[in-house]
Amino acid sequence: MSYFIARRLAGFLLTLWAVSVVVFAVMNVLPGDPALTILGIDSTEEARAALRARLGLDQPVILRYLDWVAGALRGDFGESYSFGVPVSGLIAERLPLTFSLALSGMVVTVLLALVLGITAAARHGRPGDWGIMLLSQMGIAIPAFWLSMLLVLLFAVKLRWLPPGGFPGWGDPVAALRSLVLPTAALALVQSAVLARVTRSAALEVMRLDFVRTARATGFGSRHVLWRHVLPNALVPIVTIVGLQFAGLVTGTIVIENVFYLPGLGRLLFQSIANRDLITVQALVMLFAALVVTANFLVDIAYVVIDPRLREARG
Amino acid sequence: MIEVEGLSITSAAGPILRDVGLHVAPGERLGVVGESGSGKTLLAMSLMGMVPDGLSVTGSIRIDGAEMCGADESAWRRLRARRMAMIFQEPMSALNPLRRVGDTVAEPLIRHLGLAPRAARDKALALFDETGILDPERRLSQYPHQLSGGQRQRVLIALALACDPELLIADEPTTALDANVALRITRLLVRLAEERRMGLLFISHDLAAVSRTTERLMVMYGGDVVETGATAEVLRAPAHPYTAGLLSARPSLAAHGKRRLPTIPGSVPPPQELPRGCRFSGRCGQEIARCAAEMPQPVTTAPDSWAACHLLQARAKGAGA
Repeated sequence: MSYFIARRLAGFLLTLWAVSVVVFAVMNVLPGDPALTILGIDSTEEARAALRARLGLDQPVILRYLDWVAGALRGDFGESYSFGVPVSGLIAERLPLTFSLALSGMVVTVLLALVLGITAAARHGRPGDWGIMLLSQMGIAIPAFWLSMLLVLLFAVKLRWLPPGGFPGWGDPVAALRSLVLPTAALALVQSAVLARVTRSAALEVMRLDFVRTARATGFGSRHVLWRHVLPNALVPIVTIVGLQFAGLVTGTIVIENVFYLPGLGRLLFQSIANRDLITVQALVMLFAALVVTANFLVDIAYVVIDPRLREARG
Repeated sequence: MIEVEGLSITSAAGPILRDVGLHVAPGERLGVVGESGSGKTLLAMSLMGMVPDGLSVTGSIRIDGAEMCGADESAWRRLRARRMAMIFQEPMSALNPLRRVGDTVAEPLIRHLGLAPRAARDKALALFDETGILDPERRLSQYPHQLSGGQRQRVLIALALACDPELLIADEPTTALDANVALRITRLLVRLAEERRMGLLFISHDLAAVSRTTERLMVMYGGDVVETGATAEVLRAPAHPYTAGLLSARPSLAAHGKRRLPTIPGSVPPPQELPRGCRFSGRCGQEIARCAAEMPQPVTTAPDSWAACHLLQARAKGAGA
């Protein structure tokens, strides 16, 4: 088992390295002169050349890459071209909001999907099942940004229950949570629609197995059998999809933050792209990619935690 | 104490089980034999209240005097594990693969009997010991895939015994095991029934296993009971041609190489294609004219024994005249 984890860890680190190469390469072939962005079109060529030298942009690509990686490992992503402050500071300011949004989105997605999926499986072929499947089909078909606008129209504009956007900061936790409700719902409803279907079919698959009959014959109620015997055995496909969905969730926060005017990493990414602030964009893309790679690593670890048979099979 | 009378189970396509009667008292061991498709497993499931959806059950199933036919799921659930328990054919797949077998056996002790986890573990250890599981202490924390088929079947028996049921239903418990292991499992079941004064309903198509395990025997064909009586008597002198057919289809060492193993031609037809008269007509070697058209009535062959066959009826009339 420790061999398996060590191998996965090696794979995880290799993937991160590959991602860093790709991100750096892409950012450096993109057109646009940072010196021009910072100094403006009225600047002289001498001033721009001097700035490029100060930013290290006149160095060979390999050296710049190594410099960037060494800095990133220390948490130093350089100085933002457009904001004029360290990128790490910009990220640290906005990370808690994006992290809260992604986490609450993931938690609500998983809870909603498990309840809906297991309920549908328990009512297989009956109206409850059809209803849930119809809803989830709609959820899959609806784009998150459009759902966000509908939610704002209904709950913020018409009913005035929740703020339409913006974030007051964690100084006022109630207001902060209230402003996260609609973005979380917009993220989770669409994601959970997919996951609910996966949960349902995985549960149906498991419900046919003999040990489920043993559990019933041992006098356990159907709810206990479903949640304690069927669900754990259905978790491997569910966790796989959760890992894949995490990437969708992270990119989802970029869209959602812009719809709801939330000052998170997604909005920062948008602004940085608009400002041609390549060094910030580069750090953010690397960060998002690292999050997704980490999620997939955790999914691999989850497999062996869930299923004792895999511990031996995978050494 | 379980008493079944006139039990019939019908699907949309037709009857699958017809007019079955049986009773098992504490300490009694009843065998049910028949080919695949004879309705044995469905009979067992009906005694657990686990008949699949879409089948209608009529007749009477009395458990400790309470009528359970038509009872709802929650009434059945209260009886499962505590009054009657069941073990299944496939010990390979009948255990939750993600749970340590000790936890599986402790689960009903905690949930049904309210034992503390520590006490439940001790009781599970005692049950492992009672069911002859080797190295029980270590087994408690192993997963099903780490055990052999015979050990898994013992774990399932330990699970079934957890809440001290009055009746143990064993549905082909030895079919998936090799002969030596099967022999030990049947011995274990007999010992447990005797020591615990527990009823045993032993379902099998293996006549050797049934003869080792049970005192009384019920032979089923196509959803009907065709013969019943003391196990030793029925196997010594089968009254129904189907029982005789099953017996002669048994491989034996003495006959090896001297003759082809006789078989009953064909297989049990699906319920909607069963003949209108005697269910066995069409496959029976001793058929007479009325067999295909008319249902044979039970004929008493010995005290508490009968068989349903037109040949017996004809013979009984001949003897009476």
